Order: sequence, then structure tokens, then C-alpha cells
Amino acid sequence: MNNAVILAAEGANPLIPNVWEIVVTVIGFAILLFIVSKFVVPAFEKTYEERSAAIEGGIAKAEAAQAEANAALESYKQQLTDARTEANRIREEARAEGAQILADLKEKAAAESARITEQAHVQIEAERQAAVASLRNEVGTLATALAGKIVGESLADDARSARVVDRFLSDLESQQSAGASK
Amino acid sequence: MEVHGSLNLIGYGLSAIGGGIGVGLVFAAYINGVARQPEAQRVLQPIAFLGLALTEALAILGLVFSFVIGA
Amino acid sequence: MPNDGHLQRGNALIALALPAETENGGFHAPGLEDLHLPEILPWGAEYGTGFGKQMLLVLLSIALISWFLVAASRRGAMVPGKFQFLGEYSYSFVRNSVGKDVIGERDFRPFIPLLVSLFFFILVNNLFGSIPLLQLPTTSHVGTAYALAGIVYVFWIGLGIKKHGLRYFKVATVPSGVPKAILPLIVVIEIISTFFVRPITHSLRLFATMLSGHLIIALSAAGSSFLLLEADGLLKPLGLLTLAGGVGMYLFEILIQVLQAYVFVLLTAIYIQGSLAEDH
Repeated sequence: MNNAVILAAEGANPLIPNVWEIVVTVIGFAILLFIVSKFVVPAFEKTYEERSAAIEGGIAKAEAAQAEANAALESYKQQLTDARTEANRIREEARAEGAQILADLKEKAAAESARITEQAHVQIEAERQAAVASLRNEVGTLATALAGKIVGESLADDARSARVVDRFLSDLESQQSAGASK
Repeated sequence: MEVHGSLNLIGYGLSAIGGGIGVGLVFAAYINGVARQPEAQRVLQPIAFLGLALTEALAILGLVFSFVIGA
Repeated sequence: MPNDGHLQRGNALIALALPAETENGGFHAPGLEDLHLPEILPWGAEYGTGFGKQMLLVLLSIALISWFLVAASRRGAMVPGKFQFLGEYSYSFVRNSVGKDVIGERDFRPFIPLLVSLFFFILVNNLFGSIPLLQLPTTSHVGTAYALAGIVYVFWIGLGIKKHGLRYFKVATVPSGVPKAILPLIVVIEIISTFFVRPITHSLRLFATMLSGHLIIALSAAGSSFLLLEADGLLKPLGLLTLAGGVGMYLFEILIQVLQAYVFVLLTAIYIQGSLAEDH
């Protein structure tokens, strides 16, 4: 009796439209369609395109930056390698130079010492010669004087005495050398 | 006990059974297909919804007739 | 009882389609009549004869959608704010997963405005059913559903004729690769299903789901209030159950409302694609 469906079936059938609804919907939808196609869709599409362009541009920029960074890294590595090689080279050179200097110094020192020794030898020889010469004179004079005192006669004849002394000395020397060779 | 109501609703309920089963079958097949081949989803989707529309038409026709044919 | 409906209408003016009790104290389930308010123009006229709440809501939805879309799209910032993001997200959803995927990358662009307007119009009008105080999915009135489906119907038939000329009717109804013997039968079925059943189901699917959802919520609300307020002691707690069920149905109804907007637009796209296709 109070059933809604019966009421509905008796009253307005829900499938029969109110003409006003159709009119309002069609007009309203037409207005909406106009606004959407005139303003909304172009604006959204424009934003889309701008954004995708910006994203693509950003990607390109990022790629460029990446490439640049890679190049910089490469060059730094290169420079580092170069520097390392350079340092090695310099160290080697320094070592070689040091060795060279050391060798030179050694050589020079050896030469110097050799020279000094040589000089000393020469000097000693010269002094010995001088000593021998003066000794010979001295010995001659002394021996002559002594012999003159012993003999009692002046051996003033220098020439003769000199001859005697020389003979004596050369005998002495020959004896010496014979003794030395013995 | 007195029972109120319209026989039309029973008829509509019966017509909805077929539509319900049919829609279930359509989407079962659709889900199956997409699960096996996810890249086919774009192809299958319109077909599935067209199938849904056709199948559901029966239930909707049932609804229409339950209203149109007087109690 | 004829004056029962009038009584309900009087109630409904005060509280939107709230429940109802018959003179003898039994429960009266809210029916279609209880959902209907009298018209505004002419004032207080019987439902179904003039300009009423439903049409007011349609106009409100047009204003809301236009404002929302224009405001969301006008800025066009590179990095969208929340508001713009919401607009762009729903726009690109319709544009890409409905328009581009169904109609095809090549020629979906001219149809974006139609699809977007349809989607937002139906979505907002459906959601009106879940907004307190408004509480009326305007698409649950069959006139709106007829109008929308009619627009789409005219649109895709016109599109087919524009694309193929009169040959379109042959393309649409004569499928290729069918044996000659059963061809007449198929053609008749195709004519019925394409040109008659399509628009009817397209409109009534939307209308029926919205109406039934509306009724279910009204029913659970009315039942809960009756059980909680009027029922005998032992039955009162049951009102909590129906209330919980009503809340559940309310949430489910929101899902259905969104889904129906999607289905309507998707079917529109499929029909458009069918009109553009070379063979059936």
C-alpha cells in the first residue's frame, strides 16, 4: 500500500525526462564545451609543450654540463699524469746530476791529492838535490881543509883539490850505488 | 502475510543476473589477457569496455522494461 | 495513497528526503517520490514540470568546472602548485589514458575538449550526490543523462558521416569477413545495437547507477534514523549497523560516481574511434 515502487509506477515514470533538464543540460554543456575548447585545452597544451621543451632543454643542458665535467676530469687526470712524469723525470735527473757531481768531486779531489803529492815529491827531490849539492860543497871544503891540516900543506890549489874531492865523491857514489844495487 | 511490490522488479532482477555474469566474464578475460601480456592492455581495453557496454545493455534494457511496462 | 506523496514532499522541503513514517507508525522506505523536491520556477510547482533544484545544480556545476579549469590552466607555471597539479593531473588522465590510448595518437587531438568537458561535467555532477546539503547526483535525473548521451550520439554519427560520407552506415553496420548467409541477420543486429541500443545504454547506465546509489544512501539513512529513533528497545542497536553500512555505501558510491564518469567518457572515446575506423 505504501510501497514506493507502486507510487513511482503510478506517478512520474523516471524514464520520462523533464524537458527543462534536457534544455538546461544541453545549453550548459555547450557553454562548458566552448570554454574548455577555447581557453582550457589550449592553455594546458601550451603548458605541456613548454614543459616538455623545458625538460628537453634541461636534459640537453645537463648533458652538456656532464660532458664538460668529463672533459675537465680528463684534463685534470692528464695534467696529473704529466706532473707525475715530470716529477719522476726531475727526480731522476737530480739523482743523475748528484751522482755526476759526486763523481766529479771525487775525481777532482783525487787529482788534487795526486797533484799535491807530486808537488811534494818534486819539492822533496829538489830539496834533496839542493842538500846534496850543498853537502857536496861543504864536504869538499871541509875535507880539503881537513886534509890540508893533516898533510900540512895547503891544498890551496883549488883546481887540484876540487878534482880530488870530485874523484873521492864519485868513488863514494859509485860505492854507494854498488852498495845500493847489492 | 501480505507481500507488496512489483513483479517488474523480479523481472529486472532476473535480467540483471545475465548482465552480471556477462560483465564478470568480460572482465575476467580482460584481466587474464592483460596479466599474460601486459603490453596488450591498450588493445584490449577498448574491446573490454565495448563488451561491457554490450553486455550491460541487457540489464539496462531490463531496467527500462521494468519501468515502461505498467505494473 | 495519493496524499502520502504530498506529505512526503512537505517533509522533504524541510529535510532533504529524510525518512518518513506512515500514519500507522510503520517504516516507509524512501522511494523515488521522496527524492523529488518541488520546482523553483514556477515556484512550488509539482515535480517534473519546471525548473528545479537539479537544473540549478547543473548550472552550478558548469560555473564550478569552468572556474576550476580556467584557474588551473591559466597560470601555466613550469612547476605546478597543488591546485594546478590537480587540474593538470585529471586533464592529462583524460587526454592520455582515454583520448590518446583509445582514439589513437594520430587523430585524438580534436576530441580532447569534448572528452575533457564530458568527464568533468559528469564527474562533478555525480559527486554532487556525495556532497552534504546538495545531495543530488544531477545525472540521476534522466533528462541530463539523455542530453549527454544524445550529444555524444549526434557527435559520433556526424563524425562518421563527415569522415566516410554516406558510406559510413555501411561501414558501421556491415562487418567484414562474415559469411553471406547470415549477413542479413548480422546487419540487423548491428543496426539495432549500434544505432538504438548504444545511446539508450549509454545514457541509462549513467542514470541508473546514479539513481540507485542515491536511493541506497537515502534508504540506509532513513532506515538508520528510523531504527535509532523510533524502533523498540532491542532493535535500536541495529541502527548502528545500518549507519555503518550507510557510511560504507556512501564511500562506495563515491567510487562508483568517479568510475561512471570514466566509463562514460571511455565509451564516448570508443564510439568516436569506431566512427573513425576504416572497417568494422
